[in-house]
Amino acid sequence: MMDGVKAALVLFVAVLLQLSVLTEYRLFRTASIVLVALLSIALLRGSIFGAVAGFMTGFLLDTGTLGTLGITSLLLTLGGFWIGRYGETTARDRFHAPYVSVAVVTALYLFGQLVLQFMLGEPAPAGLVAHGVPGALVLNLILTLPVYALIRRLFPPLELGDRIREVRLLG
Amino acid sequence: MPRNRTVRLAVLGSSVQRAAPSGFPSSRSSALKRRIVVGLLVLASLVLITVSFRSSALDGVQGTGATVLRPFEVAADRIARPFADTIGWFRGLVDAKNENEKLRGQNEALRRQLILDEGALQENVQLRKALNFVGPPSIADFDKVHTTVVANSQGAVDESVVIGAGTSNGVQTGSVVVEPLGGPDGSGALVGTVDRVFSHESRVTLLTDSESAVTATDVTNPSVIGAVRRGGGSSDVLILDRVPKIPVVRVGDTIVTAGSLGTGPLESKFPRGIPIGTVASRSASDTTLFQNIQLKPLVDFSSIQNVVVLVPKKGQ
Repeated sequence: MMDGVKAALVLFVAVLLQLSVLTEYRLFRTASIVLVALLSIALLRGSIFGAVAGFMTGFLLDTGTLGTLGITSLLLTLGGFWIGRYGETTARDRFHAPYVSVAVVTALYLFGQLVLQFMLGEPAPAGLVAHGVPGALVLNLILTLPVYALIRRLFPPLELGDRIREVRLLG
Repeated sequence: MPRNRTVRLAVLGSSVQRAAPSGFPSSRSSALKRRIVVGLLVLASLVLITVSFRSSALDGVQGTGATVLRPFEVAADRIARPFADTIGWFRGLVDAKNENEKLRGQNEALRRQLILDEGALQENVQLRKALNFVGPPSIADFDKVHTTVVANSQGAVDESVVIGAGTSNGVQTGSVVVEPLGGPDGSGALVGTVDRVFSHESRVTLLTDSESAVTATDVTNPSVIGAVRRGGGSSDVLILDRVPKIPVVRVGDTIVTAGSLGTGPLESKFPRGIPIGTVASRSASDTTLFQNIQLKPLVDFSSIQNVVVLVPKKGQ
């Protein structure tokens, strides 16, 4: 419950930063602090948490930009769920996990957005997206360092006692 | 079993695979629960996309949400503004001296031009009155709604901004948006048009969007008529397309909206005379019918702070 409130606050602030501050500078226009914050939370709290947080964050972003509702929700739900699963299975306690997650999902998010826009008959300039991918990757990876460190403090990895609910006796 | 290995080691080192450890609350839940949750969320997203794209049923919800979000966006912007101003101040300091000299020269030239223009303007007004001339609509025929940008473009592809004025201020879909400074009647260069409107917010598609285009003409040579749209690459450059090779366009000429005469079905929604940009380069090849004209926009589309929306005058 407490994690839910904290995640809602963190992601709300990230959306405000994204909408009003970060995109004001051309250099940072391709960066997405929302995506980085969401993936960091999903990595630390798992797939269901990541999917629900992704859906809500996407809804908030689409509302703020007056865009077509649901597009960002769909992409962030899938991104949050997938990285949450990655965190639950193979990525635990690995240093490179947040960076790999952000890099992969940034590229997939941009191309996913392009595909959805194309399917809805909206302008979908693939060349522009491909051109913007390297910049977005670099900026999001730079953002990952402070954002993940902050979110790790807010959402500390669960203690061993919280993780283990049953013990199997061998032999 | 090799020598010196205990039974315990043999058990731990056996080839029997252990179950994957469960590390998170959600992974404790069954795989079925996980699939149901993500399936429902994806389904909800698809329903939202369908309803939002095909009808205006969710416009009320979205408009209310945007209105609620707006004070927070304004607060975030105000908190960040001093930092942005500081960065801008340092950046400006670097090339202030060179720019100062250049601007002094420009200022002198513009003063002389202004004197000539004021004379021509007076003459124009008198002649119009004498001839009872009815021309195309101009900026003066619209009311102006001054507002701020509350959300900037998102990502590399998006060429739209959200502004803090909507139907309650008289804004309509298709309303023309300009910058507040620089142009005639206190209005500036062309920014774009409103494409979605809510009660207190609207979304403006910028002129740099690949779907935007506007009929334009050269101030110094009105026989030049073409369509201004986004260039192939960067959004810093616009092109004036479909201009035949015969009318002469010179580098440095100012390009303005052409507007249209009358009120037929193909009437332009842009009033005549809104500045768009200056000609940055011009070329023509033997194999094409039209000139290649690149424009430098007068608006810095990456940092629009305030805008003016042109709305029909009350009673019209």
